[in-house]
Order: sequence, then structure tokens, then C-alpha cells
Amino acid sequence: MIKTDVVIIGGGATGCGIARDLTLRGIHHYLVEKGDFANGATGACHGLLHSGARYVVNDPEAAKECIAENTILRRIARKCVEKTGGLFVRLPGDSKRFRDTFLKNCEEVGIPTEVLSPSRALDLVENLNPEMEEAIKVPDCSIDPFRLCMLNAFSSRHRGGGVLIHHKVIDIIREKGMCVGIKAQDRFTSQVKEIRAKIIINATGAWGDQIAQLAGSEAPMTLSKGSLIISNHRLTNMVINRLRPPSDGDIIVPNEAVCLAGTTSIPVTDPDTIEVDPHEVDIVASQAEQMIPKFGSTRLIRAYTGVRPLLKASGGDGRSISRGFQIIDHGNNMFSILGGKLSTYRLMAEKMVDAITEKFGINEPCTTAETPLEGQEELSGYPLSKRLKEMDNIVCECELVTREDVERAINSIGTQHIGDIQHRTRLGMGPCQGGFCTYRALGIMQEIGRVSPEESLKILQAFLQRRFRGIKPALWGDQLREEQMVESIYLGILNMGQPL
Amino acid sequence: MNTHEYDVVVIGGGMSGFMASLRLANKGYKTALISRGDPVCCLSTGCIDVLAQAENPLRGIGELPDDHPYRLIGMKGVKESLGYFLDIMQDTPIPYAGDPKKNREILTPVGTTKTTCLVPETMAHYTHNNGEYIHVISFKGIKDFYPSYITSRISNTAFSVFDAQVTSTTAIATRFEDKAFLAEFISWVQDLDIPYGRVAIPAVLGIDNPISVMKEISTGIYRDVFEIPTLPPSIPGLRLFRALKSAFQRIGGNVYWGKTVSSVERQGSRIEAITLATTGRPTRVHGRTFILATGSFVSGGLYATRDTVKETVFDLPVFVPGPRKDWFNNDFFTPGHAIEKAGVRIDSTFRPAESDLNNLFVCGSIIAGSEIMKYHCGHGLAIATGIASAGQCEKELS
Repeated sequence: MIKTDVVIIGGGATGCGIARDLTLRGIHHYLVEKGDFANGATGACHGLLHSGARYVVNDPEAAKECIAENTILRRIARKCVEKTGGLFVRLPGDSKRFRDTFLKNCEEVGIPTEVLSPSRALDLVENLNPEMEEAIKVPDCSIDPFRLCMLNAFSSRHRGGGVLIHHKVIDIIREKGMCVGIKAQDRFTSQVKEIRAKIIINATGAWGDQIAQLAGSEAPMTLSKGSLIISNHRLTNMVINRLRPPSDGDIIVPNEAVCLAGTTSIPVTDPDTIEVDPHEVDIVASQAEQMIPKFGSTRLIRAYTGVRPLLKASGGDGRSISRGFQIIDHGNNMFSILGGKLSTYRLMAEKMVDAITEKFGINEPCTTAETPLEGQEELSGYPLSKRLKEMDNIVCECELVTREDVERAINSIGTQHIGDIQHRTRLGMGPCQGGFCTYRALGIMQEIGRVSPEESLKILQAFLQRRFRGIKPALWGDQLREEQMVESIYLGILNMGQPL
Repeated sequence: MNTHEYDVVVIGGGMSGFMASLRLANKGYKTALISRGDPVCCLSTGCIDVLAQAENPLRGIGELPDDHPYRLIGMKGVKESLGYFLDIMQDTPIPYAGDPKKNREILTPVGTTKTTCLVPETMAHYTHNNGEYIHVISFKGIKDFYPSYITSRISNTAFSVFDAQVTSTTAIATRFEDKAFLAEFISWVQDLDIPYGRVAIPAVLGIDNPISVMKEISTGIYRDVFEIPTLPPSIPGLRLFRALKSAFQRIGGNVYWGKTVSSVERQGSRIEAITLATTGRPTRVHGRTFILATGSFVSGGLYATRDTVKETVFDLPVFVPGPRKDWFNNDFFTPGHAIEKAGVRIDSTFRPAESDLNNLFVCGSIIAGSEIMKYHCGHGLAIATGIASAGQCEKELS
């Protein structure tokens, strides 16, 4: 049995942010996550660090939080944030009145803007639709959500906190109606660990109500599915938004060598059974195409979907519900932190930990806004030239990941999980979507004795199944061609269709 | 513009295109074959899958859906086509082994077995399930071959790793062409003292003369040797394609290599000529008849847009299996995604059924309903339809 002060359930941005804040205030804790970091909405979003401009017309409060946090994260999370800047483009037919309110509210909230003529906007992003009326520049940024989680957890891990990934909370232990600990099951070994704590924090996003119910409580939320697509080219170096009320497919974000476009907004009930419908891909692609015409002819390498955990509202659709957050004290030593968004994860963590210090009677102020994330100096910052030098040993040709990178990732976390390697190295994130390199990564895991060959084939099968789910909704053109080749390898040459 | 005149112009340099070309050139017709580059068969195992679902693949043909191209040809026709293929390969550096009436198993790089029918002689020495010892040899740094997959799944196996100083399959295969390297390799294997059983090596035993490389190793170590096909780029696929190409050229066939069709000339219900895009001046290729052998999606004969499927050379009508959401199953491993049925429908004379063109014939996996992944019938279907379309084309020519 493990003893600690606080157990955080959920390894998304919020949970990891809380772990770091607790670390800086000297409170011992354990973080428990059922998958890898950024397993839920954190890893299934645009990777957009909002300037707040997206929300400025409908929800100025949320916009104010965004611009404040945007400024902080650009300072403390240098290696996670790419200062791309963003453009809101107004296309023919888009409301001029909305544009006027947008500019007025940005000024009131404190979001710096600059109105650009079409020719100036095209100078910045040459692939933009030349028919646009104008573009407004704002300080939107691209952010790597997975790195963000890793770095927040890094502080915790290196200063006495505990981090258990791939552990699912199966029970919350209660004594006399109060929560006193949790039971977490290792996803691979099925072994159950018991962790005793004074406080339990439920930071599980869309799974919040399920976890709250384990403690006999409730955390009502509205769940909204948002689907995104990934192009195999970086068609823009800036974040591109449509200057109109929030709608389907109105944001395009550059990320490394690719672009992400989304989203849709569809109410759902179960976060574990969501899938992208091919129809959503068409909607997002055709909307993105209006802002960047090349999006229509570019190759889409996959589609994915996440669930927004929104605060329960009496009516309206997913978009008109506030993106604000809420902390619930269930009165039984469990807190739930609900709603919110990636851009404000740090603020959410600060408020959550404030509530805990108050409960513990500790007077320790939050310092996360001033202290840069630790562990950043070790991160590469993606030096392409360095990776090119090691061309001989490239395991993943799409993303130039070397055998050494893969071995380092395997050894540093002792993983048996191919997704862990992918998150940490970008292996399999390119056009072939792991069709070639996953087989190799598993071969390397075998060679260094991390998995047995039998396990390795099962992992490969499971990976191919998951991969296919992501690719299927966007299968046409060159991606379909490549998919058929991958099929011919695994189902043809390797004959993995038979029971293994 | 240069105009070149032919009796037959075959578009597509894969298995089906070469079989049709060889057949017609052998009958004395002036034949041209146009290929965009290394064909998809370079990605294959090099083995001839005929139909995996029955022990005797020919008998399985009767069980196929009515609209499968094999049904049009029939058991006898398929058998004769495969015999013709075996005869042709007999005179090349890579003769094939096997019996069209009997499927056999080959070992895959992950230690599973795969059903196929005819195999290059370098793979003929694998015998399935007899429990005999197999010693696997791998190469240091090779990216797509991990011998422990095999040794963990098949009992009575072990492996050793040779350092060839190079790591790609193509580079290793090239080294095996060198006598000194081969001698060094043989002496290294001799030192392993493999006491009994057989020796398995990934398919890298040279490009031009694999049989002699294999025999030399086998003689040097007193053990039977066989190759295991690897992931693309596949050396057995490359050898097969090279052998077909030189067999065709030997009998006077003309290959337009690395060329794509840039325009098509029609005259009523006939194709008159095609124009090839080249870096110099364009070439006009005039033919009395044409054979379309451009394959399915992987080789680019078909191209899927967001909501339909196009045939890329003549823009022929294509059978599309429903809207895009129905093209694929949810499960990767369930055989037979609907999209595999897509293709050009043919009539009993191998002409495109939904077009009035009467000097154009179609063969290979571009034919609607082929479903080559589902039935594991890729090369077999290519051979049989290649020969069958050549036969129909011959009728038109005479």
C-alpha cells in the first residue's frame, strides 16, 4: 500500500498541471492515469494555444483567461509552444457586424489585433484563399499537448511525486462515507495497487462522472464530440481561423510537418465508444478548403476525435456552452474539476490547488505562472539537421526517427506500449501512420528484451486495428493507395489475418 | 511528333501486362509495353498466389462469386495459363517450382505461414510442419527482418546474425553478386556447424542469379537452403519483374520504360493512339489493339476521389461499391473490404462492358470483382486474365 497526501486521477493537461502545482507547493501526491499522458481530450484537440479571440464575441470572460494564460505559457513553456501567430480571415459573405464586435471586444479584453489587407495576409500565408476580404492578426500559438503533459509531470516525478501511467482506477476506497484512497489496476499485468490519500482529485475530463460515481457522487457534464483531420503538409505557418461565429471546421493549426483542421461538435453520451464519421471528415475538409483552398487537394493522413467535457448547461449546443471550468467539493474528501480547456490548464490547476491548501490550512502561494517548466533544456526542440545526420539508422522514414531515439524512449520509461514510443518520438505520425515503422519498433523492443515476440505480434495486431480506425474515415486518394499497400504487407506478405 | 506503330499496345508493366505481352509477342505480333516504372509486383513476395481458400486452388474457382474474373476463364483456362507461366520462367534465371493443382505454405518474416501456389526455386525447400530443425540467418542492422518472430513461433529453430556491412535488402542482395563476399558468407555459415536440418535466409541471395547463389551456399554447408520473402522492397519481386522484362525483350517486344500516358486519341469505337509524356518530344504510339493492365489502387490504375473512383488512363466507367462510408469494414483484419470490388467491369471478351470501345481489352486486378486481397489470388489472377485477354485480343487482330 502506498501512502500520500493527494491522489490525482487523470493524466491530461489539468491533472499534470495539478501535479506540478502541488510539487511546487511541497504537497506529496500521486498521479494515476489509465492510458498514456494526454489520453483524452488533451491529446485529441487542435493543439491550439488560444489567444482568446475565438471566444471573444460569445464568452469574453473565457477570452480574458485565455490571453492571460497564453502570455504565461509562451514564457514558461518555450519548448512546447510555437509562436506562430494566428489569422482570422473574413471571406465574402461573412458578417461585417461580427467583425466589428470581434475587434471591439478584443480591445476590451486586451487581445492585441492587427487588421491586414488580403495582400498582406497572403504575404504571411501564401496558401490562403485570395478571395478573402481581410484578415485580423492575433497572438494564437501552436502547442504540443503531449509535451506539455510530460513536462508538467516531469517536475512531479523528479521531486518526490508519484506518476502511474497505464493504471486504471477501479475503486475509490471509502471509510465512514469519506474517501481515503483508490485502487488502481495495471493495464498490462492486471496487478492492483492501493494508494491511500487525504484528498482525491478527479481530473478525468469526459470520464469525470464515471469516477465521481465510484465515490458515490456525481459530476454532471455535457459531452460533445469534436472530430479533426490531419493533412500531410504544413500548408500554413500560422493558425488560421474563420472570422465568424464558432462553427464546424473553422480552425487550422500547423504542427510540425502537418496541419490539423477541425472541428465538429456533436453531443455524445459515452466517451469510450466515439468514432469519426466519414461525413464529419467531408464537413471539416470542405470548410478548411474555404480558408486554404489547397486543403481540398492535399492528402489527409488520418482523422481523430475527442470529447469535450463541458459544464452542464440547461440548453443550447456544445459551442454555446461556456468553456469555463468549475471545481466541485463533493464534501467527502473528493474534488472534481470540470470543464475548461487546454489553454487555461495552468489556471485550473492553480485554483484547484488553492482549494486544497485551504483545506490543509497551508499558506503557500502558487508559483507556476513565474516558474518555467523544468526538463525543457533536455528536449530537442526538433533539430532536423541532427536527425538527418543519422539517416543510416532511421526507423521511421516519415518523421526521421532513429533507432537510438526509439531505444532511448523504450529504456527511459520501460514501456511495453507502442503508443508511448510514438508520443515521445513522433514515430508513426507521418503519412504512413506507422504502417512500416511500428513493425520495426516492435522488433527493436524484442531485441532489447522488452517484449517477447509473441506479445509483440499481439501488440502489432492491436496497433493495426487502432491505426485503421483513425485512417478509415479519410480514405481516398493517395492515402487509400498507401492503405492498400499496408494491407498487402500485413494481410498478404505477413499473413497476420489468421488467428495468432 | 514521332509515331510508333504496333499491333498491340499494352499499358501497364506488372504481372498481367507482361503475361499478355509475352503471349502476343510469342505469337508474332508486334507488341509494345508501356510502364510507368517499377511495377507493384516488386512489392510482392514473388510467389504466385492462385487462390488460398482451397487445397487445390483450381477446384476453389467454382466456389467464387459469379462475377469473379476467374469464373469467366474457368479451371482449365487458369491451369493452362499457370503452365504457360512455368514454361516461360524455366528459361530465366529464376525458374519456378510448384503444381497449379496444389497449394503450398511458405514461411513469413513473422513466423506465420502463408498459402501460395507457385514459388521461385529459392523458396522451394521450405517444408511445412515436419518438425525438422531450421536455422535462420539474419543480417546485422536489417530493418525489416527480426528472426525472433520466427524462432518464438516455430519450435526447433534458432538464429544467427551475419554482418554484411550494409543493411538494406537491396544492398545485401547486391553484395551476394560478389564472389568474394559469397565465399566469406559461406565460410561464416560453415563455422556455425549447423548439424542437421535446413537453413533459412531472408530473400537477399543476389538479384541476377539467385539459384546459383543458393546452390553454392547449399553445397558449401551441406544443408538445404531456402529464402523467406521480406517486406517491400522485395528482391524476389524485383527478380520476377526483371526476368519477365528480359524474356519479353528477347522475343522482340518493345518496352517504353518510365513513361506515362498523357493523352488518348479515339476514333468512334476504337482507340487509335496514345501519347506518352517524355522529357524530350512526346511520343505517339499507334496500335491496332490496346490492353489495359494498370492494376488497382496501389499501382495507380484506379484512383479514389472523395466520393467516387476513376480509371486513370481512358476514364472508363468504374464500378464503385457504394458511398465512401461503405468502402471499408470497421475491422482491419476482416478479409474483403468492399472497395476491393471496385474496377472496370468486363464482358466475356475481356472488353470493358460499359463502354463501346471494341479494340480495348482489360486484364489484371483493375477488373471489377477481382478482390485479390480477400481471395489471395493476385499474381494468379494477373497471369490468367493476362493470357485470357491476349487470346481475345488475338481474335480481334486476325
